[in-house]
Amino acid sequence: MAAPAKTMLRRFRRTGVLKELSKVTSLNFARAAHFTYVPDTPPAVYGDTTRMNLVQAINNTLDLTLATDPTAVLFGEDVAFGGVFRCSNELKNKHGKCGDRVFNSPLSEQGIVAFGIGLAVGGATAIAEIQFADYIFPAFDQITNEAAKFRYRSGNLFDCGKLTIRTPCGAVGHGALYHSQSPEAFFAHIPGIKVVIPRGPYQAKGLLLSCIRDPNPCVFFEPKILYRGAIEEVPTKDYTLPLSQAEVVQEEDVLTKGYTLSLSLVEAVLEGNDVTLVGWGTQVHVLLEVAKIAQEKLGVSCEVIDLRTILPWDSDTICKSVVKTGRLLVAHEATHTMGFAAEIAATVQSECFLNLESPIERVCGYDTPFPHVFEPFYIPDQWKCLEGIKKLVNY
Amino acid sequence: MAAKLGGALRTLRYLTTRPVSCRLIGTSPSVRCVHEDRPQFPGSKSKFTYKLSFLDPDEEAGIPVYRVMNSEGEMTEKSEDPKIDKTTVLKMYRDMTLLNSMDKILYESQRQGRISFYMTNFGEEATHIGSASALHPEDMVFGQYREAGVLMWRGFTLDQFINQCYGNTEDVGKGRQMPVHYGSQDLHFVTISSPLATQMPQASGAAYAFKRAQNGKCVICYFGEGAASEGDAHAAFNFAATLDCPVIFFCRNNGYAISTPTSDQYRGDGIASRGSGYGMLTIRVDGNDVFAVHNVTKEAREICVSHNRPVLIEAMTYRIGHHSTSDDSSMYRKKGEVVKFDTNNPIGRLRSYMVKQGWWNDDQENEWKEESKKMVMESFAKAEKRKKPNPTELFKDVYEEIPPHLQKQMDSLKEHLSKNEDKYPTQNYEAWSEH
Repeated sequence: MAAPAKTMLRRFRRTGVLKELSKVTSLNFARAAHFTYVPDTPPAVYGDTTRMNLVQAINNTLDLTLATDPTAVLFGEDVAFGGVFRCSNELKNKHGKCGDRVFNSPLSEQGIVAFGIGLAVGGATAIAEIQFADYIFPAFDQITNEAAKFRYRSGNLFDCGKLTIRTPCGAVGHGALYHSQSPEAFFAHIPGIKVVIPRGPYQAKGLLLSCIRDPNPCVFFEPKILYRGAIEEVPTKDYTLPLSQAEVVQEEDVLTKGYTLSLSLVEAVLEGNDVTLVGWGTQVHVLLEVAKIAQEKLGVSCEVIDLRTILPWDSDTICKSVVKTGRLLVAHEATHTMGFAAEIAATVQSECFLNLESPIERVCGYDTPFPHVFEPFYIPDQWKCLEGIKKLVNY
Repeated sequence: MAAKLGGALRTLRYLTTRPVSCRLIGTSPSVRCVHEDRPQFPGSKSKFTYKLSFLDPDEEAGIPVYRVMNSEGEMTEKSEDPKIDKTTVLKMYRDMTLLNSMDKILYESQRQGRISFYMTNFGEEATHIGSASALHPEDMVFGQYREAGVLMWRGFTLDQFINQCYGNTEDVGKGRQMPVHYGSQDLHFVTISSPLATQMPQASGAAYAFKRAQNGKCVICYFGEGAASEGDAHAAFNFAATLDCPVIFFCRNNGYAISTPTSDQYRGDGIASRGSGYGMLTIRVDGNDVFAVHNVTKEAREICVSHNRPVLIEAMTYRIGHHSTSDDSSMYRKKGEVVKFDTNNPIGRLRSYMVKQGWWNDDQENEWKEESKKMVMESFAKAEKRKKPNPTELFKDVYEEIPPHLQKQMDSLKEHLSKNEDKYPTQNYEAWSEH
């Protein structure tokens, strides 16, 4: 029975039947990503690099942490076998004989975060995984009332700064209500924690290492749509990128720091002076594409800023850019009302009132739950952002 | 040949009638899984039954309450006598009564509006002292809020207690939390926080870190029977058991969570009955018997550090005082009930024991009462005179460093105060200084 089936499959493959079929299937069940990934190029000073996707970069970071910090442990739901996204692949076997460094927890998010707090208080470096950011809410009490306030309330006698919570976030094409959320704004309202979102593998490694070593509890959101789709050169050595520092894709950076930025980034910068575009995670790539289209179609040059750290956020960099451009568009996948764009808009309005030449534009998800079949209409894609830019320059 | 076959058949018959699993006979593929009379489901280990019968907890006898000393302070079971020396017993008694004196004075001071809030420990002193005395001083303590006796035992001074309640310059917590939210790094007592049960899964995590560090220490986590209804309690028990954490869960079952009696809190046999459901070693103890509490905690500690297993202790006691100074418990319970327990309180029981041993008499009692009261009053007077900390402390320790946006907010308060100083109680606070 099995043999003829195999032969048939082989024949199909040879004749390209399956290839055609899968094309049709992908058209029916998935759509093209709403963005084009723009690879980052690490500075030459970081030395040797390897091509990695986001999963591999996270895995590499965790591997490095477990190898260099004997107190470090990695845990969460299904982490031991490698994780549902494979971020902890092979790590259990590689580190520690007892399997007590990379382990499964019972299925309880409040338990996972609290256990991590306890580990940190007990002197360990705790890297907790919440399987999807959508499921972080059961741990909200532990994050906001406990982790964030541990140092303050004890007069700095105790802290859980060695805790990092990693969790996949953001749209993925078909994640619907509970596999698509971007809950960063809920966490931006919590003094005491840091909230960080990378836009690709190189950023992820540097920022995650910073989070793990930062003496404050950090929530690290990983845009899951980039896990396999984002591929770029990542330094193999240990390096960190600073938290609370937005990255402006600027001409001077290109010249002084020796960044060899991808073409579209350089274009946006070299010609950019009209509008500041701010985003984070996947949305940065949407904005880079928007910048390119705006240049080509409207002759508008944009400065694209990757906020990277949501809390405490780098208002200086953004205000500096807006002082130059006079116009600001903030875009995020999360819902509009009280999304983090609101905080940015309010601050920029207060700091740059005299420089603003038009109202600040926010292009966000709608104030609805994240829908399944309507995702293409829901997300703040390049066309919605482009309309936002038109509004800004025609004001 | 025939004999061999007969032998094989016998073996086969033997194996099929034995309640063995596939895995056990897996070495011989020919007889594998011939017949199974044991369930093979991965989720449990038990037998099949052909009788439909629900487990009825009401038909089971309650878990017994372990005690060493009866209400008259007599050791009823000589073999269970922990044989604690006179000096230690005197310290136990003095700590319990000193805590009692401090409670009375601070309770009254709140009634006079001198501190904002207070929670007494009346009736539960033995659970604190009995357990604390059985631990290693470096074992880490996670508490709820009614465990001040543990700190007292470890050497937290009256000054430290009262400074915290006043939130003055000497408070190590820098005046940020409500009264009775004590903490001490030196005494390995993790700072108390108000949200109930949050400390429980944290304690499991700390215990896991201790296990990995192989430091020979355990963690103890105190909580009330009301807090045990929180989801975090469930997480704590389950994580501790599955991850083999050396943690002692110490439940103070005092009959009430504010106004809620245990009959509205749970329907099972208290908290202890939940222990085995999580795969934990469990015991219930008379929480008014300081020696019984000492014994079970000592044994639990041994289990934790030698076998990396969590233990659940449920100490049965009674909350003699009001829930807090914001509560009038006569609204929901009868005076007679309180009096019944107050006349058989843990302090009186230990005193009877000491008197029987010839270690204590009325003169000593009166003298100590006066002395302890005086000590508390002196500390109290000193604490009341101290200023509150520098207002810059409002902005510090949110993060390890002060981020720029917080620095800005601190600067804005400074500027605001420079214009509006007369509108704020600045004279009660240390002068503004950035360092």
